Amino acid sequence: MKIILRTILLSSILLTTSCATIISGSRQNVEITSEPTSAKIYINEIEIGNTPVQKNLKRNQEYQLVLKLDGYETYETKLEKKFNAWYIGNIAFGGLIGIIIDPITGAMHKLKPEEIDGNPKSGTTYKTEGGNLFIKISLDIDPNSEKIGQLEKAE
Amino acid sequence: MKQMTKMLFFITVIGLTSCSPKITSNFTNSQPKLSIDESIALLDIEHKLPESVTKIGDLRFQDSGFSTDCSFNSLMTQARIEARKNGANIVKVVDKKTPDLWSSCYRLKIELYKYDGDASSLPQYELKLD
Repeated sequence: MKIILRTILLSSILLTTSCATIISGSRQNVEITSEPTSAKIYINEIEIGNTPVQKNLKRNQEYQLVLKLDGYETYETKLEKKFNAWYIGNIAFGGLIGIIIDPITGAMHKLKPEEIDGNPKSGTTYKTEGGNLFIKISLDIDPNSEKIGQLEKAE
Repeated sequence: MKQMTKMLFFITVIGLTSCSPKITSNFTNSQPKLSIDESIALLDIEHKLPESVTKIGDLRFQDSGFSTDCSFNSLMTQARIEARKNGANIVKVVDKKTPDLWSSCYRLKIELYKYDGDASSLPQYELKLD
């Protein structure tokens, strides 16, 4: 009986003393929009759908993003894992278990679009709100494409 | 003594629940890099390798540390990145160890090949987002 009680106590401690895991979770909500909309989006070369797209991605992985739209240049970028400041909470509150658990769950990371010299890649803008990541990608017109007409909605 | 027991417990927890894919690579015949538009076939153990392929190299994913990014999908994604860098369009899993008591990671031995046919038409593993 004592062993069971100890196991329950230990499990509760393990589950409730990881700062970043509690605050941020092991996944991050990422919303991707594009200008113009309806671009086909691939994450790690897997077709996800057309923009705007919302995905709950694991924080401990890096992702490759590719956007394709007819008449526009293919846009490639990455989602990189960066340090999540909530992890410092473990030090502030003395949570040794949190220091171990947060890296395991991936909560010590947060996803951010790739940066070049400290700035987002050209064409990418983003903001973070309530832990959610909102990315907007502007696609450039493909100089090799030629407009031959436009469909209009019949009245 | 109590301190020792605690330390041992933590080390055991870390040892059993954390892992990192250590990648060992050996490229014997690297080819020009493939573009993002060229497809790469991911062949699992049960998928057959087509005839007339050229071997580019080997990859080995092992468990060795403190990362948790070592699911099958994640390792195959990393293998595909390595394949693309070295001009291979087939990633063939030749040995696969699933997570067990000793490791929470997949451990894979992979061979990379260049195939002149259409890699996308081969029966293959369909990658998923974890």
